[in-house]
Amino acid sequence: MRGTSGISFGKIKISQGVLSIIPVIVILIFVRFYPMVMAIYRSFTNWNGLYRSDWIGLHNYIEIFTNSPFWKLFRNSLVLLLSVPLQVILGILVAVLLYEEVRGWRFFRTIVYLPQIIAAVTIGYLFRVAFSLDGPLNLVLRGMGLDFLGIEWLGNTATALGVLVFCLTWFSIGWQAIVILGGMSKISPEVFESAKMDGANYWQRTFYVVIPMISRTIEYAVIMSMVWTLTSIFAFIFTITAGGPGYETSTIDYMIYIKFYQAGAPYGFASALAVILLVIILSITVVEMRYTNKVSEWE
Amino acid sequence: MLSNFNRKLSNVLIFLLLLGLSISNLYPLFYMFMNSIKSRTDYYVDPFSVFGLKLTWENYITMISQFRIFNLFKNSFIISFFTIILLLSVGIVASYAFAKLNFKWKNVIYLLVISTMFIPVQATIIPMYLFFSKIHLVNSYWSVIFMYVGMFIPEVILLMTSGFRGIPDELIEAAKLDGAGYFDVIRYVIIPMGRPAILLCIIFYFIVTWNDLFTPMILLQSMDKRTVMVALAALLSRYSGDPTFQFAGLVLASIPAIIVYAFFQRFIIKGISLGSTK
Repeated sequence: MRGTSGISFGKIKISQGVLSIIPVIVILIFVRFYPMVMAIYRSFTNWNGLYRSDWIGLHNYIEIFTNSPFWKLFRNSLVLLLSVPLQVILGILVAVLLYEEVRGWRFFRTIVYLPQIIAAVTIGYLFRVAFSLDGPLNLVLRGMGLDFLGIEWLGNTATALGVLVFCLTWFSIGWQAIVILGGMSKISPEVFESAKMDGANYWQRTFYVVIPMISRTIEYAVIMSMVWTLTSIFAFIFTITAGGPGYETSTIDYMIYIKFYQAGAPYGFASALAVILLVIILSITVVEMRYTNKVSEWE
Repeated sequence: MLSNFNRKLSNVLIFLLLLGLSISNLYPLFYMFMNSIKSRTDYYVDPFSVFGLKLTWENYITMISQFRIFNLFKNSFIISFFTIILLLSVGIVASYAFAKLNFKWKNVIYLLVISTMFIPVQATIIPMYLFFSKIHLVNSYWSVIFMYVGMFIPEVILLMTSGFRGIPDELIEAAKLDGAGYFDVIRYVIIPMGRPAILLCIIFYFIVTWNDLFTPMILLQSMDKRTVMVALAALLSRYSGDPTFQFAGLVLASIPAIIVYAFFQRFIIKGISLGSTK
């Protein structure tokens, strides 16, 4: 890029560049590539973490797909992914409200993002308390004479999953709103002004001006929160339902945790689950890579 | 006149909506704090009560003296601190290379490094656990720190590389003409000029590592090495526990991250919103 220097100077630069990235490459090979390759290999064995590690071919995978709660886990992951469209829609609405810069908007922006700062352990526990049988929600419902609604929210599959979706959505609105607000700040104000001059009302501006212009930001937000929902919500599930009742609210990643502590150490089986998770994430990431390439083309 | 009135009305409406959302975000924290200073009986009588109660700090005293929460704080701080030190020392040189130096296959390597961000930690934890136990690093802070550095370095490099790209090449050239070597350039040009990205990484990964549960829960099983979140998660999973006591622990554990956020919130928000379009 900087063409002022000579070839010999250029050679020094080359070695400096390579030297600079050696530490990160070494760390990634040890902490990420090695265990990933290991997990892929062990997924074809009956590994128990000790000396037993016989090659059993696709046995773990057949076991997972035919004779395990896998499809229940898969269903749960799909249900929890429902929170992504909810988050994005609510995030857009909040971003549009913040964009108007009414009195105190900076303070509101700070508070909107606040849940992201609170530990998932704390938020999960608050949700568990709130939806417990004698918890605040049921107290309110009974107080309103709606005793029939005062059910055991976390004891039924549908409502327990519903509580998790609600929790993930509540937690993520702030992140979505800030990311989308960042995308909106790139839209020039004249676009809004001319839309207003043309008589576009608030909703028309949101749907016909804002959303098309930040479609890339929305794409990024959707992909990131999909990956996040599939891999990073352990603490929420652990504190709210612990995956129960039974495996009714466990997800694929949560099952890896369960298998880790299970008697007999079925680590080969757990590795196969990890590989399946990896493949799911990978297919989402391919879309993300396409997106990243597009961005670097602009620069 | 009418449009002016409409504008005012819509502003009031927006204000009220944002206020409602803010209350929905703040009330749970208030609820948690209020009940942590109530007696257990008062809590079971009415968890919403605010006035006319006999308040007590007893839960906090027990948290500190018997649950020894500050000892757990120490563990969490050590892990966060060394994670950040390693992230910065590895991340700054690598990002300098990706942003300002030329070498073969730079863009391919960059994309490979960044894409490791998407390897889920669950896919690597069992092999890593067994590896760490072989070299006797389970129950050591270092196991968690190494895991964190591997997990977060791609994002750190993503953030810092885009930050460092904005540093003018002329400054680096001028420093080199003045006889600055590799580390001089980093020390006197890259670090001062790239300060916003570096600061953002420090703040952001302090909060992330402080709040994380999964990795330390697997790797730190001895009581005296556990992080505050691991210890609290264990306390919370006892259904028989006293909620007011548990609330007190959660309030204490939330304070460091909230303090950091209070001081640097504009920074964080700016960083998050920039990250979206970079």
